[in-house]
Amino acid sequence: MSWLPKTELNPGAPRSTLRYHLLLTFLGLLMMLPFVWMVLTGLKPLAEVANESWIPSEFKWGNFKEVFSVIPFGRFYWNSLLVASWVTFLQVITSSLAAYSFSRLRWPGRDKVFLLYLSTLMLPGLVVVITNYQIMIKLGLVDTLVGLVLPSAFTAFGTFLLRQFMLTISPSLDEAAEMDGASKWRIYLDVILPLCRPGLIALTIFTFVGNYQSFFWPLVMMRDQEKYTLPVGLLFFDSEVGQSTHLLMAAVTMSVLPMIILFACLQRFLISGIQMGGVKG
Amino acid sequence: MKASTAKRNRLVTGLLFLAPSIGGFLLFTIVPLTLSFAMAFTNWDVRRHNMFRTESIEFVGWENFQRLLSHPAFWQYLSNTLFFMMGIPVAIIGSLLAALLLTKDLRGVGSLRRIHFIAVGVLLISLIALHLTGFDFGGMKFMIALLFGGILVAGFLGRSTVYRTLFYAPHFTGGVATFLLWKKMYNPQTGPINTALSPVVSSIESLFQWLPPVAGPILALVAVLLGLTTLGLLHRKLGQAWLDAEAGRGALLALGLLSLFPTAMGFRWMQETWLAPLWLVGAVVSVGWFMARPMRQQPFRQVSAGFGLMRLALPLSGAVVAALLLIGLGLVAWRLPLMAASGEMAPPDWLADYHWAKPAIMIMAFWAAVGSNNMILYIAGLTNIPRELYEAAEIDGANRWSCFWHITWPQLAPVTFFIVVMSVIHGLQGGFEMARAMTQGGPAGATTTLSYFVYIEGFESGRLGYASAVVWALFAIVMFMTLLNFKFGNQNVND
Repeated sequence: MSWLPKTELNPGAPRSTLRYHLLLTFLGLLMMLPFVWMVLTGLKPLAEVANESWIPSEFKWGNFKEVFSVIPFGRFYWNSLLVASWVTFLQVITSSLAAYSFSRLRWPGRDKVFLLYLSTLMLPGLVVVITNYQIMIKLGLVDTLVGLVLPSAFTAFGTFLLRQFMLTISPSLDEAAEMDGASKWRIYLDVILPLCRPGLIALTIFTFVGNYQSFFWPLVMMRDQEKYTLPVGLLFFDSEVGQSTHLLMAAVTMSVLPMIILFACLQRFLISGIQMGGVKG
Repeated sequence: MKASTAKRNRLVTGLLFLAPSIGGFLLFTIVPLTLSFAMAFTNWDVRRHNMFRTESIEFVGWENFQRLLSHPAFWQYLSNTLFFMMGIPVAIIGSLLAALLLTKDLRGVGSLRRIHFIAVGVLLISLIALHLTGFDFGGMKFMIALLFGGILVAGFLGRSTVYRTLFYAPHFTGGVATFLLWKKMYNPQTGPINTALSPVVSSIESLFQWLPPVAGPILALVAVLLGLTTLGLLHRKLGQAWLDAEAGRGALLALGLLSLFPTAMGFRWMQETWLAPLWLVGAVVSVGWFMARPMRQQPFRQVSAGFGLMRLALPLSGAVVAALLLIGLGLVAWRLPLMAASGEMAPPDWLADYHWAKPAIMIMAFWAAVGSNNMILYIAGLTNIPRELYEAAEIDGANRWSCFWHITWPQLAPVTFFIVVMSVIHGLQGGFEMARAMTQGGPAGATTTLSYFVYIEGFESGRLGYASAVVWALFAIVMFMTLLNFKFGNQNVND
């Protein structure tokens, strides 16, 4: 009966949780093995890559440095961070404004417009990507960071997520603020935004990580190697010097590890964000 | 008069807040959507309509769609996409199992001293076990044992947070970086997977070479018998729960059905000739299942109860699934000695092999999908189930299985429904990143999905009109599947 919560009737022996720990550890180790291989291979000399042993005979930390001289890796890093930061910044602003309008203000036709927004969540992103590219050509934004940022700056998902968060805030708060003569803009800034901070943080992480890894759009938009983002840069690296697995793994490590650390630190916010966007929708 | 001014003011305020979002929404979603629909009916081709050649773009009606339907490659790519989607139920089951494990009460391991004691014990045991199995590549066994002990101790201290991070990491870091990682791991000559597999394969080979060739049919028979026994035991164990649990039964059957094919077809020795009848039977069974669903609704049920039609449909399709599994199992056993005798037994070439490329990508996708958002949603769903339900069931003497089928699974139905709808939508347009980063859609188009096809047509060949037609065909399939999901899937959600 160990799957039941512990009560007085069902005290649950301490030993019983050990097997779950062992099982979870085993599975967790399996999930981690590719990452272990990745880090260790990134530290190997080239000649040892195909060895049976995963452990390098000497740890070549220089591999990580060498990556930066083989390809403009620092440049890719910077581009990715820049694009992801801008998209996140714009998306949080536009989404929170729209979510405020959809959750707090009453205007005719509001719910119909919201339904239209929602229906685009089901729309395959591929439908618009070809035409968006043609629009970018017309606007002269191909191969620019602006062209990379703009189409991602407005999403129905962010609006939807923040609206769900805002709906959980009691309406009596803004009524009270309105009594005190606050304008809608003040209420948005001083009441609603501070209260949905967990939602804003979750959206920030989602958007940032999603755009840090986004691939299709940068791949078709960018011509100039100097403007590649990290995923496109890694692909380019693989096609250029695909034989130097050790360097590629060092580069992959450097692009993957920040994400794992980010998640380990911020998972509380992320998880509440996922649950808001999924279950209650 | 005054009321209408107030109404207008409200509209203006509402739209002002919406303006930045809706501006981008119109420009980058609604306008491209309309344009793309129009483009699907034109012969817009970058090679013919560019700054050097100004042939006018013409409307060609349904020509693009006709060409699409008569293009054999389209059907191959569509079936590739559907093949990859058969990994979805497996991944969902994996996520659910992970969530079930992670929501267990993991406290009560004891004091810090006890933790240290256990950790040292585990370390020693795993070292000895690894040594006994001959798993000795330099410092590898120490490293693995250390990792195991380290995760275990971290798990004791941080409990489910630690495990959740480990499970979620592959999904969170997913993308081109991890695809390149797996591409290197799958390398047939230098990758760690085949390096670890080849000693195992060669020992299996020498085992089968030692057997006489007659052993094949006998082994096949034994495998089938073993499979039958297992199925029988499962049937007894599920027993009443299978017959009672309305919500669980159909869904389980569908999941089982869907998860059958990747296992059955992944095997290399299932030659092309074997695929055709498998597909056929699978299709018949799924159609039969879908037809059987509405029959369970009230008016039909009363009519069919007398004939026992409904009662027959589910066990029958279950039997077909089981038969297919057994056939697959038997074939494997039959072929193994033959392959060993001819010396063609070797670890697969993974991404370079036509038959293994898809399973290889599905294994990777499973690794990334188990600990995904689906797992987090299931964890939330599981913690929201009222405890009283379980306590009441316990008083009634329900066992673990019936608790799961009568409480957990029905209570999770809304979550499952959401996950299935989203997975199908994503699955239909998926596969682009893997194809681009790992295989270039090959070998021989084995891993080209519809989204990669769109990329090739739209951005490499420049046939924009045709690519738009592909996109809209894909869109139609997505809508059709989603409607199917809403029609059949959410019956259990609403009641």
